[in-house]
Amino acid sequence: METGVKIVEGSCKGCVNCIKSCPTEALRVIEGKVKILPELCIDCGECLRTCREKALALDEDDWDLLKSHGPVTLMADPTFCAQFSHYWSPGLIREALASLEMQDLFDQASIAFDLAALATARQLQEASRESLPLISIYCPAVVRLIQVRFPELLHRLVKTETPLETGTLLWRRETGSKGGVILVTPCSAKVMLVRGPVGRTKSMMDHVVSVKRLARDLLAAGPKVEGKSGAPIGSRWLAWALRGGESRHVRAFSERKLTTMAVSGLRNTIDLLQDLELGRLKGVDFVECRVCDLGCIGGIGNAESRFLSELRLSRQPIEWKVTAGEHAALQELYETGIWKLEQPIQPRPRPSLADTLDVAMKKLKEMQALYAELPHIDCGACGRPSCRALAEDVVRGEGELTDCVFKLRERISLLGEEITLLSGKLPHAFHERKHVK
Amino acid sequence: MDSRYEVEFTVRGDDFLAAGEASNQIKETLVMLGVPSAISRRASVITYEAEMNLVIHAGGGILRAVITPERLTIVATDLGPGIPDLDLAMKEGFSTASDRVREMGFGAGMGLPNIKRNADVLKIDTEVGKGTTLTATVFFGRQAEQGG
Repeated sequence: METGVKIVEGSCKGCVNCIKSCPTEALRVIEGKVKILPELCIDCGECLRTCREKALALDEDDWDLLKSHGPVTLMADPTFCAQFSHYWSPGLIREALASLEMQDLFDQASIAFDLAALATARQLQEASRESLPLISIYCPAVVRLIQVRFPELLHRLVKTETPLETGTLLWRRETGSKGGVILVTPCSAKVMLVRGPVGRTKSMMDHVVSVKRLARDLLAAGPKVEGKSGAPIGSRWLAWALRGGESRHVRAFSERKLTTMAVSGLRNTIDLLQDLELGRLKGVDFVECRVCDLGCIGGIGNAESRFLSELRLSRQPIEWKVTAGEHAALQELYETGIWKLEQPIQPRPRPSLADTLDVAMKKLKEMQALYAELPHIDCGACGRPSCRALAEDVVRGEGELTDCVFKLRERISLLGEEITLLSGKLPHAFHERKHVK
Repeated sequence: MDSRYEVEFTVRGDDFLAAGEASNQIKETLVMLGVPSAISRRASVITYEAEMNLVIHAGGGILRAVITPERLTIVATDLGPGIPDLDLAMKEGFSTASDRVREMGFGAGMGLPNIKRNADVLKIDTEVGKGTTLTATVFFGRQAEQGG
């Protein structure tokens, strides 16, 4: 199992700062080095933000190597278009990229995002009252979070494929090309769209590079653009970079008035999913969650400040009115089913303590007993995010109780006492001599 | 059989902020034990509704979960007002919750019916003025469908 996060060997100082930032307790520091438990990791990128040593990084491909193989084709997340002050529109970015022999798939993306919004609107219309609200799948970290922590909500995920995937497929169908496509990602979560997609066996995209890497390259080359007026590029898809953009897009395609909710940030996402799980979101049709602050522009793989990106996006003229021509073309694509998620998304529960229930119960009791002995201050010095996690690791055979400094000190002090006690004892021969004196 | 696992929680009456904590912990326990998600889902509906009943109606009580390799039993005990008409209380939509509670989004009269729907066996002992003990059982294995 892979994750979207890479450990930079040699940079980790074993400071344990990262382990508390993980919402699913997927990090450990063992023998001074950080480790990721892939079955728990949701690729949210919180640990990357916390690490001061840059020992955790986005697991991207080698951009220089990819570039050296000739012209590249890029499927960019909409956040890419909010990174620059002077290439402020997709048209200008296209010109800049083209001068560096890079091809964008903005047109295909624009259609695919329209199609995804349309497909989601249709699902909302057809859904029964009890099955609402449905949840967006655009943030892969949210999907993983639901797989790991909220499996009861899986049936609420919309059955729409991510438009980044659909857009690539559209391009492949149009051109018949089997050439490599590079996903330009704003975050560690979308790395997994290429490396280990959920809901399909294999991605249509081949490589993945961060928005930051590409944006810096473009800025360094600094190609002059003249604003040549090419064919206009759709603008609605750009809104997805910002929290609420997807919801707005879905509403634009809905025949009935929709109640939508959009939250961003990991904590807000977890709170909202909890509310949803407890059945508190009655009357809501669609829920859009993004684990990064302000939406995808807050992703750890962006170059630009999320606040400036937000400002820029809010100034983008976005045409929400869908023309009759666009509608007809989309309807045709809709009927082909190209937007559909291939496979249902399965739960990914954390492995149980043992294979059979009675062994698991025995281990759980052991775990509780061990936990009771620990200091319950979750100091992290053992390399686990909490005393509970240490107790669990010990029961699973992945640690020792003396990994806890407090337990270690207790053992040493007991040993010390015993040594003092033993040091007072003398062989019988000496005893007698002592008495004689 | 001594292979059983028990957890017990004291649920405080009217404490809507902490409501749901006990059922959350019971759910996490079931996941650790590897109980299939369809079953732990039913179990968490039962524990949540039973916990909410303790919070809303009973002025608090004790929520206990007993797990054996065959079954999960949830026991909610309180010294509250008791249920005068049990048949009526089992009806969907019937509730004695106050307006204040309803404004918070609770007390829709779905609690007991929901528990009944998700439990394989449900037993309620209640006496007006003395209190209520609710015992709900979910079987892990096949025998559940054959009706236990």
